[in-house]
This record gives sequence, structure tokens and C-alpha cells, in this order.
Amino acid sequence: MTAMLSAADEMAAVEHLHALRCTDGLPVIVPTAERVNRLVLATGLDPDMVLGTMGPAGGVATVEKVAVAAVMAGCLPDHMPVVIAAVKAVIDPAFDLTEMQSTTHCTAPLIIVNGPARAACGGISGGFGALGPGHRANASIGRALRLAMINIGGARPGESDMALLGHPGKFTYCLAEDEENSPFPPLHTALGFAPEDSVVTVIGAEAPHSVLYSPTGEIAEDARRLAQVLAIGLANVATNNAQLRNGAAVVVLNPEHAQVFQKANLSREAIQKALFGYCFHRPETLKAVAGGFAPKGDDRGPIHAFRTHEDILVLVAGGTGLYSMVMPTWCAGPHVNRFVSKTVEMNAFCEVTFQPTH
Amino acid sequence: MVANLGIPAVALVTEKFWPQGDFVAGSIGMPDIPRVKLPHPVAGTGAENMRRVAQSIVPDILAALRRDA
Repeated sequence: MTAMLSAADEMAAVEHLHALRCTDGLPVIVPTAERVNRLVLATGLDPDMVLGTMGPAGGVATVEKVAVAAVMAGCLPDHMPVVIAAVKAVIDPAFDLTEMQSTTHCTAPLIIVNGPARAACGGISGGFGALGPGHRANASIGRALRLAMINIGGARPGESDMALLGHPGKFTYCLAEDEENSPFPPLHTALGFAPEDSVVTVIGAEAPHSVLYSPTGEIAEDARRLAQVLAIGLANVATNNAQLRNGAAVVVLNPEHAQVFQKANLSREAIQKALFGYCFHRPETLKAVAGGFAPKGDDRGPIHAFRTHEDILVLVAGGTGLYSMVMPTWCAGPHVNRFVSKTVEMNAFCEVTFQPTH
Repeated sequence: MVANLGIPAVALVTEKFWPQGDFVAGSIGMPDIPRVKLPHPVAGTGAENMRRVAQSIVPDILAALRRDA
């Protein structure tokens, strides 16, 4: 059962939550019992159902506590299936949540949504500015996960969240794949799910880095150069991926760049393999600049940034144009901060009619 | 984790991360876990300095282990 606070009015309650360090620094919706119950009801789950524990505090994530975070984030009942799935993903031991929340590196859980939930759960955008402001579902769902990580997981800057600077995606970091404008099968099908499944894939990721490529119309050369320039962004020598290696990373192709690959008859797997091939450094390069993380020994062969091409997640999202995005990652933790996919369970959810309260 | 297994353990924590040590020790229910404070930073200060730091904290580590025994 969640402890109750009291305040004179709504504004006083918000200030009280700020003072208790229960917010992300922005105003929140006050999680009254009525509002929380509405979101719990929307999950169709028992409020006391335990989803798992969240480190580093080891707080127990019940459905009710996640609903508290979701109310504070501004979620609608429709968003709840995705919020619950995202919390389940970060709780999976492979995600290394405790270590990720505690690291000095700047990393935040990027939530990638595939399947029918994109439309059914509030209209999660995969189009223009999907990672920017103006998309209610993207903003609220990502923020709900962050508030759960703060209030259940106990991550607070300089005390238990030791990120030296963090990045703006730590407020919210959620997008859908633009399956309709992608020439490739949806990402989740490459991860072993059925096309009709709804899936969240969560990966600890740096802020998006822009990659510019202007095609010239030379089909094979465009594909090669685009893969090469994406690889430079993905695993340049300044990244953890280059220096620590063995983690994963994300490439978000805008639809135009996706077409560049499609015209060259490259599948997602072929793109992943091309990127894997380009993401390496010579030992002497790393020895020249990587300091304490420089490779030891006299091995002369190329040092790859990734274990396998499958650790490079490739999806299509964003407006169409000259810019794609890459997100390098932390590459540490007992499971190398593995990305985790969870099915969005939509059958258990109840319809909740919106009734404004006065 | 090691201490939870009953194996004598001392956490080495740099002074800048001492508050995080407080947090983690509390959250795992071991607020009195033996800890020794190191100067900050240690990482990236070179092998010679690390040896110097290591030598300087040996008495503190032994004292912490004896207190815990």
C-alpha cells in the first residue's frame, strides 16, 4: 500500500513533491488516489502485483507504484500497457538497471515501440520530431519510466545516479518505429516476435547523434558511404563502444536513408553486417588516444566495436530527409547493459472513459 | 554482494563517491559495511600513484576487517 501525503491544494502538493525530490524537476500531475486508481484499472492488473525490484534503491515496483509514476508523468490510461512493458524490460536482470542508474556515463533508457500498440496506446509517434517535444504519448510514456526509476529505483543525481552530466533523454526517451514508411520488416520481427505482436525494446543509450548524408544517386556507392558515415558516428574513437566494446547501439534511419539501402537491395541484416564491418579501429589508433582503455598487447588486427552485427539495432523513424541518428551506449555492467524486449500486453486492459473531476 | 555471502569484505570508495556509498549501503540493508575512503580520483592517475594509494590504505583495510570480525 502506498503512503499518502496531504497538501493544502494542488500547487502546494506539486511543491511538496519537488521538495521531496520525487519529481524530475518539472511540474508533475499530483498522483491522487483517484487518478492512480484510474490508471491501475486501465492495466487490468492487481495494484499490488509485483513487477520486480528497481535498483539501486531496490524499491518494489508494484502496478500501483508504476501507476503513480505514470500519473505524475501525465499518462493517459491508453499509455499504460506500454509503460508496464517498459518497466518490465528495465527490471529484467539483463538490463543491469542498478549499474546503469549508478554509472557516471550519460545513458538513458530509450523505449522503442513496435506493432499495433503504436496506434492503440495513445498514438506513439515515429515521425517528424519523434524524440522532440509535442508528442504526448512519447513524452508521457518515457517520463513515466524515468519517474519510476527515480521514485522506485531511487536514482537521484550526485547521490545514487552518478551520471556526470546526464542528457536530455533522461527526462523522456520514447519513439515508435515508422513501420509504414520502412522498406524493412519491423524491428521486433528481427528480434523473434510475430508481426502482429506489440513490443517495447528498451536500450540504455546516449543522446541521439546526428549523421548527415546527402545521396548522389549512385545506388551502390550511396549505400556504402551511408553505412560508412553511420559507422563513424556509431563507434568513433571517443565512444564507449570503441573503447570498452561489446555493448549494443542504435541506428535510427530516416525513411529517405532507409530507401538508400533498400535501392541497393540491402536488408536490415545486410545493413547490420555492413555497419559491423565498418565499426572497428586499428590497435595503434586506440593506443594513440584511448588512454587507460587502450588495448594491451601487440595484436595488429582490427578491433571491432561490436561482438556481432545483431548488437546494432537498426530501425526506421523520423521525418524524411538527410539526417539519421545514432545512439552509442555505455557498454558496461554485468550483462553489458543488454537491450531487452517485452511484449505489450493489451488484452488485459480495461476501457476507462475520461471523466474530468472538479 | 560478497559480504552478503559471509566473506569478509571491505568496500573501497573515493571521497567523491562516499555519498553514493552511503546510499547503496543503506539500500542493501548493510549500513555498517566496512568502507575505506580513497582520495579522488584514483582511476586514471597512473600505476605509480595507484601503488602509493594502495600502500597507504593497507592499515585502514586491515583495521576495517578486524572491526568487522
